Amino acid sequence: MVGLSEGEQEFIKGGIAQDLRSDGRKRYTYRPIYVETGVIPQANGSARVRMGSTDVIASVKAELGRPSAMQPDKGKVAIFVDCSPTAEPTFEGRGGEELSAELSSALQHCLLGGKSGAGAGIDLSSLVVVEGKVCWDLYIDGLVISSDGNLLDALGAAIKAALSNTGIPSVHVAAEAASDEQPEVDISDEEFLQFDTSGVPVITTLTKVGKHYIVDATLEEESQMSSAVSISINRQGHICGMIKRGGVGLDPSVILDMISVANFVSRQLMDKLDSEIAAADADEDES
Amino acid sequence: MANFSTGDRMRKPKGDRRSTEISLVIRQTMEACILTHLMPRSQIDIFVQVLQADGGTRSACINAATLALQDAGIPMRDIVTSCSAGYLNSTPLLDLNYVEDSAGGPDVTVGILPTLDKVTLLQMDAKLPTNTFEDVMQLAIEGCKAVANYIREVLLENTKQLECRRGL
Repeated sequence: MVGLSEGEQEFIKGGIAQDLRSDGRKRYTYRPIYVETGVIPQANGSARVRMGSTDVIASVKAELGRPSAMQPDKGKVAIFVDCSPTAEPTFEGRGGEELSAELSSALQHCLLGGKSGAGAGIDLSSLVVVEGKVCWDLYIDGLVISSDGNLLDALGAAIKAALSNTGIPSVHVAAEAASDEQPEVDISDEEFLQFDTSGVPVITTLTKVGKHYIVDATLEEESQMSSAVSISINRQGHICGMIKRGGVGLDPSVILDMISVANFVSRQLMDKLDSEIAAADADEDES
Repeated sequence: MANFSTGDRMRKPKGDRRSTEISLVIRQTMEACILTHLMPRSQIDIFVQVLQADGGTRSACINAATLALQDAGIPMRDIVTSCSAGYLNSTPLLDLNYVEDSAGGPDVTVGILPTLDKVTLLQMDAKLPTNTFEDVMQLAIEGCKAVANYIREVLLENTKQLECRRGL
């Protein structure tokens, strides 16, 4: 991205202070969001989300594996993000690794629970096949195709849409096996179980520029931020995860205020996202 | 290549051998036809992102690179189009998909400059008798010419739209 001049920087900060951003939006308005599902037929589920010029694809692939010894009744989920050099030439080779790692760990914080597996936004117990022996491993891969700010929200939305599009094949377990043997499983090609995504949270990032917070920052606005707080909230209004980025310290009262703003804004995002996902699924069914 | 592009998920999306090989092939093919002497002291970066690999990946990459270069207005000797062909059950087949490619028959990838009628890329794996090879290569070249016609139509359509938008 080309550097901004002093005048341009003041213009962005001043606009945000007056609730009129460079592209005409108000502080708490998102850019138009487009969702397409089923873009990668080879994957179990996939979705593409566009917020303005930010374009990301998320895909879900399911493989059979062993559950971990500490949580034998839960499946496993791994989230990995890759930044494509088509988004920024600097992402070529290992250039995008830092951003990819930051996004991957942020998504893991927001969507998956703590080390004990408690409080996960995604319900892992629906992924188990034979308790203690066989479970589904979900590999969620995010790909950033075009970057214009607010990657975390777009990736969160894409993952939610991809999960709603995911079909896990039903598995028939063969007759009783000895307790320390792997049971034989037969993966059906015909029947699929739709993944339940009503509990999956949505990530809202609030970027603080000067004294005010904005939602859905573009790359230019992000360059002027002092700090950003990303909060994942589910339909019940519970907070599933939170990350603060940026070097400037925040007063605790500011953070509490940001949480209540995020609560309000995420309602709109969730409704918009649910209607877009439903429309995308309907389009897919028709074609 | 993306993590999810192949049937079994790839662990490391960058720097794996297949990506490096396809990158090298694209670079050599494009270097032959871009008029680099018209742009001294500059570097052209071509980034190709594979979303799904289902046979004919390097051909799709070359065709995409050609379209992107034309869209960018980079001066080239001619467009480069590419297509693959194979030979299964005593029949030459055009544009193999992943299943057909894994059947063990030969896979010939050809890249041509259609107007100048010159071959810039020719790769083959597995064995093929020489006269059958000629048939398969001819088929691939015809495939390339068909792709070239389609690409030219798309580029013409794009230019007409640009003309409209500029009010010409």
